[in-house]
Amino acid sequence: MAFLELTNVSKVFGQTAAVQDFNLNVERGEFVSFLGPSGCGKTTTLRMIAGFELPTTGTVIINGNDVTFKPPQKRNTGMVFQAYALFPNMNVAENIGFGLKIARKPKDEIKKRVEEVLAIIKMDSFGNRYPYQLSGGQQQRVALARALAIQPQVLLLDEPLSALDAKIRVSLRQEIRAIQQKLGITTVYVTHDQEEALSLSDRVVVMNNAKIEQVGTPFEIYNFPNTEFTAQFVGTLNHISATVRDVANGVLAIDSQQVVTAQKLEGVSNGTAVTVSIRPERISFAEDGRKPNVLNIKVENITFLGSIVRVQVRAGDNLFLMDTFNNPFLKLPEIGDTVEITFSKEAVLVLKNGS
Amino acid sequence: MKATMQTTQTLSAVSPPRARNISFAWLGVVPFFIFAILFLILPSATLLIGSVQDRQGNLTLGNFAGMFQGVTLKFVAAPSEASLLGVTFPLPFTVDFQSNSIVSAYILSMQVGIITALTGGIFGFLLAYAAVLGGLPKFVRSALLTFSGVASYFSGVPLAFAFVATLGRLGFITVLLRNYFDFDLYMTGFSVISLLGLILTYTYFQFPLMVLVITPALDGLKREWREASENLGASGAEYWRYVAFPIILPSLLGTMILLFGNSFGAVATAYALTGGNFQLATILIFRQIRGEVLQDPGLGYAVAVGMIIVMALSLALYYWLQRRSERWLRR
Repeated sequence: MAFLELTNVSKVFGQTAAVQDFNLNVERGEFVSFLGPSGCGKTTTLRMIAGFELPTTGTVIINGNDVTFKPPQKRNTGMVFQAYALFPNMNVAENIGFGLKIARKPKDEIKKRVEEVLAIIKMDSFGNRYPYQLSGGQQQRVALARALAIQPQVLLLDEPLSALDAKIRVSLRQEIRAIQQKLGITTVYVTHDQEEALSLSDRVVVMNNAKIEQVGTPFEIYNFPNTEFTAQFVGTLNHISATVRDVANGVLAIDSQQVVTAQKLEGVSNGTAVTVSIRPERISFAEDGRKPNVLNIKVENITFLGSIVRVQVRAGDNLFLMDTFNNPFLKLPEIGDTVEITFSKEAVLVLKNGS
Repeated sequence: MKATMQTTQTLSAVSPPRARNISFAWLGVVPFFIFAILFLILPSATLLIGSVQDRQGNLTLGNFAGMFQGVTLKFVAAPSEASLLGVTFPLPFTVDFQSNSIVSAYILSMQVGIITALTGGIFGFLLAYAAVLGGLPKFVRSALLTFSGVASYFSGVPLAFAFVATLGRLGFITVLLRNYFDFDLYMTGFSVISLLGLILTYTYFQFPLMVLVITPALDGLKREWREASENLGASGAEYWRYVAFPIILPSLLGTMILLFGNSFGAVATAYALTGGNFQLATILIFRQIRGEVLQDPGLGYAVAVGMIIVMALSLALYYWLQRRSERWLRR
């Protein structure tokens, strides 16, 4: 039995379905992220776990107990909010100790626990400061400490880093992951940032239009997307028009040039127009070594992105991108040059349309 | 070092003197400054100067000394009783207080100010709470705010007349109660021209002011604070006790101080309603400066300066409390 179970969970607001038929099992100590665009239902699902929203249908079970209709106070979950939600009238120590004070714990125990979690978030000397005296990153660490202080069964984080600047976001997410692993606490994390979800999670739940699109490890989600939405939402994806030439051998034509896919073609016949998807980083210049697929393309644009150089190329009517790692000895073609690019059979994905 | 100094000298020698640019934006605030000089600074200066002059124009502190002439205050360690608005309550000590008309007027003004600040404040807060956080339909909130915007400025002679027409001996409500409900309001001892009537009338413009000022503070209570406290195990009452109430307390106290000042400085409503039956500080000043019997402008000015000091202290406290709550709510 999983530690956190969501079974057939749905939530309807008026005429709008915010979450539909959501099923997920989270193991004890697992870090699961809900990833999707705004309005896809990820925060609503998290709020149903916390008890701030009641499911229209379905059940929420934590550690074997059905908490579906229990109020938030009775669930023992720790929530970290996007806007920190620290109590401005209390200093850091009082904020962290609030849950323990409500639980009528002895003062000595509260003091000891507050010191422990302050040490965990590396803010030992900040106990007497007020929230307005802290930076955004520090406030969010205090919010995390406050959620951890009550030793919750499940830690819930609702886009906790989205209000912070890029550099702090990266360092804090590493800190969150390290703390989660150290404490072994079951964690559900909501984000619309794919990099965050992929770098933090044991498993990622990709959501779209109130439904789960795909559940898998970051590796699976990125490399083997089940649906076009997942493929598009996670990472950058080229969409290229092609025609099926030989169904049995996976042969396709892009701008009259032949390419092969490793994927088994189903539901199509020779001559069918399809859309194939190739990630930009799976394409390279042919002089690096030829792979089964080679295309003649024209270089349209070159953009320097630091560690990566993004090249926009054209094959007939198809305009797409290829990424190559930057290095000081990199030899790039000129804009307007016609060169050969190459990619593997496995890089060519013919996605389920309309899913 | 030498080179640097030379460079600096050369630059300053070459640079033309910088002309001070006066922005035309200042023109926009000129009417405000003229208004403030004519109706705030000049009258205040006249009061201040008048308060330290005798009738012949000589400098004196006699006006201020005159305010406290004959006033004595002694505490005796013996139990006694005190009475406020007809309610008697025990005191563990006896106050031997001999007042004069001026100090009595201040005390009465402060009593009216405190009571109307409390009644208007509590009533206004409960109304604002119901409209903002009570889950009532949105139109209730806009209707209440519109009413409050109008009612908070409804004071003076029109308000006094409205209350006489409504709750006077032949007022609409009084007659309605007598004729249709067989209830004679005036048989209970109530009178609109009593202290209770005055407090009721003041409350009419006090509670809308509370609604207007406290609504933004209630709006400022973030939903996440309630959710965070619930998530940490707190009940609704605990959330209000430990989080919401302490957060809005500075605003609440600050607004009550504002209400006190609003009531403390009011004159026209009281004068029109009671015809001067109640010796409030403002009515006393009016009589000392403009009256035919009691006229002593110097003393009137001194009493007015005393009022300015009370008002200034109230506003300073209000400002300090507002700053405190703004600091909390900054992020």
